[in-house]
Amino acid sequence: MTESADVTVPATSHSLGEPIIYCEGVEKWFDDFQALKGITTEIREREVVVVLGPSGSGKSTFIRTINRLEPHDAGRIIVDGIELNDDLGNLEKIRSDVGMVFQQFNLFPHLSVLRNITLAPQKVRHMPRRESEELAMSLLERVGIPEQADKFPTQLSGGQQQRVAIARALAMQPKIMLFDEPTSALDPEMIKEVLDVMTELAQSGMTMVVVTHEMGFAREVADRFLFFDEGLIVEEGTPEHFFTNPQEDRTKLFLSQIL
Amino acid sequence: MAAHTATRPPAPRTVAYARRWAHQNLFNGVGNTVLTVGVSALLVFLVFQLLSFVLTSAEWDVIQTNRRLLAVGRFPQAEEWRLWPPIWTLGALIGLSYGHWSRIDRLGYAVLAVVLVFSFTVLFEGQNALLMALAVLIGASGYVAMRVMPEGSSLEPKVGRALIAGWLLLLPLTVLLLLVADGVRTTLWGGIFLNVMLATVGIALGFPVGVLMALGRTSSLPVIRIPATLYIELVRAGPLIAWLFLARFVLLDFMPPILALDQLDIVVRAMLVLAGFTGAYVAEIVRGGLQGLPRGQSEAAQAVGLNSFQTMTLIVLPQALRNVIPALVGQFISLWKDTTLVFGLGLVDLLGAGEAAYAQLDFIGTQAEVLVFVALMFWSIAFAMSRLSARLETRLGIGER
Repeated sequence: MTESADVTVPATSHSLGEPIIYCEGVEKWFDDFQALKGITTEIREREVVVVLGPSGSGKSTFIRTINRLEPHDAGRIIVDGIELNDDLGNLEKIRSDVGMVFQQFNLFPHLSVLRNITLAPQKVRHMPRRESEELAMSLLERVGIPEQADKFPTQLSGGQQQRVAIARALAMQPKIMLFDEPTSALDPEMIKEVLDVMTELAQSGMTMVVVTHEMGFAREVADRFLFFDEGLIVEEGTPEHFFTNPQEDRTKLFLSQIL
Repeated sequence: MAAHTATRPPAPRTVAYARRWAHQNLFNGVGNTVLTVGVSALLVFLVFQLLSFVLTSAEWDVIQTNRRLLAVGRFPQAEEWRLWPPIWTLGALIGLSYGHWSRIDRLGYAVLAVVLVFSFTVLFEGQNALLMALAVLIGASGYVAMRVMPEGSSLEPKVGRALIAGWLLLLPLTVLLLLVADGVRTTLWGGIFLNVMLATVGIALGFPVGVLMALGRTSSLPVIRIPATLYIELVRAGPLIAWLFLARFVLLDFMPPILALDQLDIVVRAMLVLAGFTGAYVAEIVRGGLQGLPRGQSEAAQAVGLNSFQTMTLIVLPQALRNVIPALVGQFISLWKDTTLVFGLGLVDLLGAGEAAYAQLDFIGTQAEVLVFVALMFWSIAFAMSRLSARLETRLGIGER
């Protein structure tokens, strides 16, 4: 874990900490389809990694293995010093330290916005009700919608729902945040409000792994890009490297299609 | 807002409008005109027949004389006092719940008036009428108390929880009161009281059995999944009446003797069969609800760190159950009516009591009166259940997907 010398870590604007996510030869099969064919990478504290790639390249599967929503079939994943395996105790520890934001928001529709956020702190962290509600309100302020606390998720716009989902994940005070195409299900006019929250989060020093096609956002906040294709990391480097000097043909083709 | 209301004219309640509506909906074409006239004539004829029977030719003595038989069967008169505290509690719970969660609208008052007039002219008399009036009074006070409580009072959530606890405790306390201190053997239960007890016990036991079986059948562990699947498929493969017969003569005698299940009397056997039978159907309804829920819900719950038990009880089950309320209540209404099948076990339920009534020498030829009355009783409770379901749906519909 400490031998990070041979891992390419690009120069960045803010100082990165120790490695916090460590993946070595991660493989994942869905029946006889191999989604991940040996992923090896290291992500450091406060680093913002954007995962790019065509659909079906394994990028979503990859970030879902980091909090074990998809158990990996071979290789090792170590998050914050804990190896992911069948040990349920480890799993619960990891999941409360790793927040996740989904493409489809996945808010709990039968609970109010406030309750969506306070539920896990109360049930998992055993936080008193009042304290959890104060925390929830401060997070709603942070994502800019404190006035929606008592509404139900379906009464909110898509952009507001995704911001609640971010607040819900932050309420567990995670060390790492995973974003699985957080703006892909949003109407165009709502994308910016979500990206603004994510940018603020990145600037505050959160470790983030983001699957996205929003290249403007990616270029601005990412320390590093990982380009996935057919279950492998084909190319990685700084945003500058990708925008000015991509090496692999598949990278060039992909970038030419989305830019 | 103003523009919105301006573009939408109020529904014209004019003769011209009625004529246009009738023309468009009832008389648009020769076929539909014939159908409209035919069906209307049939309806008018049937309603007239029923009304003229109920109001003029029917001899209602048979009901009034056999009130007790139809209500409680052979339940000993000396022990009847055991029935009243549960009825008063029920009255209180209905009144309080209505006041807390809902309000009686104009239609509600009309229905209530009909029920009260019917109850105190046909169903109750003398001392029983007084005791029943007490139940109504308790219910009304509960309703009023809830209505005058200020909106948003800090007491409200506590009242809600207390009411739910009250509803859950009502059945066990009733059973306790019926049986405690040399109580009434279940084999002496009868009339509509027997139907109500069979149905409520069947629902109270069958619902949790069904939820557990649904979870079992969707489990990833074969040791749980296979027995649950076998249970559901086996129970659903037989008609209820066959299971009742089996329970009477065979089934429980196969059980390990230490459980002493073969000592159970026939009513308890019937309750267990109704619960087990309902459980199998509830299981499939709930399984549908579980599978209809997007996978993202349990993933999101796991992602914030909830364990699998919390994910199930806090996120998955509440939504899955809410989504299947109509089907669940349908199953419970079906159970309510299926309780009459205990006639096959020699028990005298409402329908059995009715048969006994029109078999009496004094009341030869009163089948129609008795059966209309019995049908009305079954219908009223089934209809009340269906209205309750509709209310629950609207109430829990907040935050609908």
